[in-house]
Amino acid sequence: MNREEAPGKSPEEMYIQQKVRVLLMLKKMGSNLTPNEEAFLRNYAGVVHSQMSQLPQHPIDQGAEDVVMAFSRSETEDRRQ
Amino acid sequence: MCVSVAEAPGTVKVSEWQQSYYGTDSGIQSGATTVRSDEDGAQYSTKKFSYSTTFTENPADVESQYNMTRAQRIRAAMFPETVMEGTAVLSTQMDLSQQTNVQKLAEPSQQLKAAIIHLINYQDDAELATRAIPELTKLLNDDDQVVVNKAAMIVNQLTRKEASRRALMQSPQMVAAVVRAMQNTSDMETTRATASILHNLSHQREGLLAIFKSGGIPALVRMLSSPMDSVLFYAITTLHNLLLHQEGAKMAVRLADGLQRMVPLLKKSNHKFLAITTDCLQLLSYGNQESKLIILANGGPEGLVNIMRTYNYEKLLWTTSRVLKVLSVCPSNKPAIVDAGGMQAIGKHLTGSSQRLTQNCLWTLRNLSDAATKQANTCSLSRPLQDGMENLLQVLVGLLSSDDINMLTCATGILSNLTCNNTRNKTQVTQSNGVEALIHTILRAASKQDVIEPAVCALRHLTSRHPEAEIAQNAVRMHYGIPAIVKLLNQPYYWPVVKAVVGLIRNLALCPANQAPLRDAEAIPKLVTLLTKAHQDAQKHGSSAQQTYQDGVRMEEIVEGCTGALQIMAREPVNKVTIASMDTIPLFVQLLYSPLDNVKRVAAGVLCELAIDKQSAEIIDSEGASAPLMELLHSSNEGIATYAAAVLFRISEDKNPDYKKRVSVELTHSLFKHDPAAWEMVSGGYLLLLSRTELDGYGPVAYQGYSDGMHMDSMPLDQEMPEDFVTGMAYNSMARPYHDY
Repeated sequence: MNREEAPGKSPEEMYIQQKVRVLLMLKKMGSNLTPNEEAFLRNYAGVVHSQMSQLPQHPIDQGAEDVVMAFSRSETEDRRQ
Repeated sequence: MCVSVAEAPGTVKVSEWQQSYYGTDSGIQSGATTVRSDEDGAQYSTKKFSYSTTFTENPADVESQYNMTRAQRIRAAMFPETVMEGTAVLSTQMDLSQQTNVQKLAEPSQQLKAAIIHLINYQDDAELATRAIPELTKLLNDDDQVVVNKAAMIVNQLTRKEASRRALMQSPQMVAAVVRAMQNTSDMETTRATASILHNLSHQREGLLAIFKSGGIPALVRMLSSPMDSVLFYAITTLHNLLLHQEGAKMAVRLADGLQRMVPLLKKSNHKFLAITTDCLQLLSYGNQESKLIILANGGPEGLVNIMRTYNYEKLLWTTSRVLKVLSVCPSNKPAIVDAGGMQAIGKHLTGSSQRLTQNCLWTLRNLSDAATKQANTCSLSRPLQDGMENLLQVLVGLLSSDDINMLTCATGILSNLTCNNTRNKTQVTQSNGVEALIHTILRAASKQDVIEPAVCALRHLTSRHPEAEIAQNAVRMHYGIPAIVKLLNQPYYWPVVKAVVGLIRNLALCPANQAPLRDAEAIPKLVTLLTKAHQDAQKHGSSAQQTYQDGVRMEEIVEGCTGALQIMAREPVNKVTIASMDTIPLFVQLLYSPLDNVKRVAAGVLCELAIDKQSAEIIDSEGASAPLMELLHSSNEGIATYAAAVLFRISEDKNPDYKKRVSVELTHSLFKHDPAAWEMVSGGYLLLLSRTELDGYGPVAYQGYSDGMHMDSMPLDQEMPEDFVTGMAYNSMARPYHDY
């Protein structure tokens, strides 16, 4: 399959390519796919292979970031013992 | 018959007293003059005195004894020193169990005598000093250093006695002369003597005032550079007394650059000296930001941390911890203390017997913890610092079993921050059974929000974004944490805790084994209730510029958190149905219109999960989700664009192939319909994208942080789009696009 920036790719091919990419991204983000979607990926294994290399490296949608709590707002004096 | 004899001739004794009164043990403190007699009448002798005691004798002897008058007996009892050597002092005591009147009076009368002598001598000393002061002052101001030296020695002697000391401090000229001499002399002995004088004067308020008024503070600060340890000791102790008791002293010490001179003294090795020095630093820097910055500029953090690392003297550790506590609220000092290994060094002192030290260390660590979390994750920390951090984390987990509310507040807070975005610390705490300890803390803390909030946050950190997150997620369930955590969503709502809990639930739901327990604990209805309430509250304020805060938490954050938790819970089939059955889909579709990316992402995400069920997919479609979803395809956020596309694919699943193609084309076309120039950019970008060759794979991803990655916008396009598919189609009409087919 010609996966380069190829003019002349049919709408169907575009559709398949886009859908493969979306499904791969979904999996990357931890979502499950439907049985039909898994079958779709198996059918277009070649496209899957080519799309895999184009997925972003970094994690996506990991939920809310950890946030520090700011405690040092004021000094407290203690008793001089 | 036992007799007592005086230890030395009385006249000798009197003259001794007159010369060295203050060395004499009057017995007031030590009880050295106390008369004792035990059952067998043994005699006790003391340092200076001896006493008559009882004995039995025959009648003939008694006769001769009574030749001594009562007056003589009394005199002997009160003034044994006047009894000539060898004289026998006889007692009239007949019964061993009963003292005579003279014996009973012996001790009180001697105490009275001692007090009178004391007063007489005091008066003498005061008069002597008063007469001598003008002369001594002149001598101290002399040009001849030898003279000055001698005068200083004499004055130093005078300051050792209370009466003369008082007289000296009442003479401003004298004190000024001492200060001057101390500053100007090049003779070490003179320096030492004058420093000692000021030190002796500093034990009374009058003396402190005299020193202060005579410009003693700048002079004493200069003495902090002395090479003589004795001078250093006198100077720092005197300054300490001034700082403690003299008004205006703090300002004067700061003006005299006292801090700049004191901080280098932290390198000294005498622990008592260091205790005084650190206490001075605390007095000067408490509540004074400028002082804290001066301490920082002179290497204070390193010096103080080194003390915590090196010494075991409790008082020194305590005074040092107090300085660190003061510095730990300063944003500039915090990173310096952390970089010097402060967390590790302070963390060594959390398990000792000194409660005051432990508590100070905990407060300090808590203040520092938000800076400390940035400290390197892995190998760029030295081995000792890594070990120290590991030790600290383990100790903190141990402290979670305490009943002391202050300790719990600190321990949970520190752990929460140290595990924030720090993979190494998260793993360490998980491995140290931190999850179990945190759950028990939450159970025991009841409604103490200062403990619960950081404890829940810590659990939230432990359950995501590190190699042992899954272990932590399972551990929560295995230690019966799920019901307790979900219960925290009950009313009354304390929003910071609610926010932390929904985030934790979201993480817990990542573990499939937790889904059923969460459902059983009724997490879903609680999340939906909260979501609805928060959304309504947020809507009340209308424009996005205004944000609704409750307890410092925005309602939009609660909306995001609840939806995110429901998204992950919706991965489980039964949960999927339950969530949809609560009539949540219309609300999720509404949230697609939120101005906030985070809310859009989780809304699209939960719809994406729900859309797997055909029934829900139809509802989503019928709620007009396609229109906002088409908009979201434009998003620069990959997560949003992916979910939006996935929902569109899923709700068009049952449509015929032509329909699907049209969806595809619309998807593609919608990206660039209004922005042909973008196509040019993106097609170039796509070329660049193809040159990135690293294969990521489906498995867990390395946690390398975010960078700008590929956007959905840069997907390849077919330039030759059939016109008929787009004619007459506009975005707004996409709500129900394909029902004709």
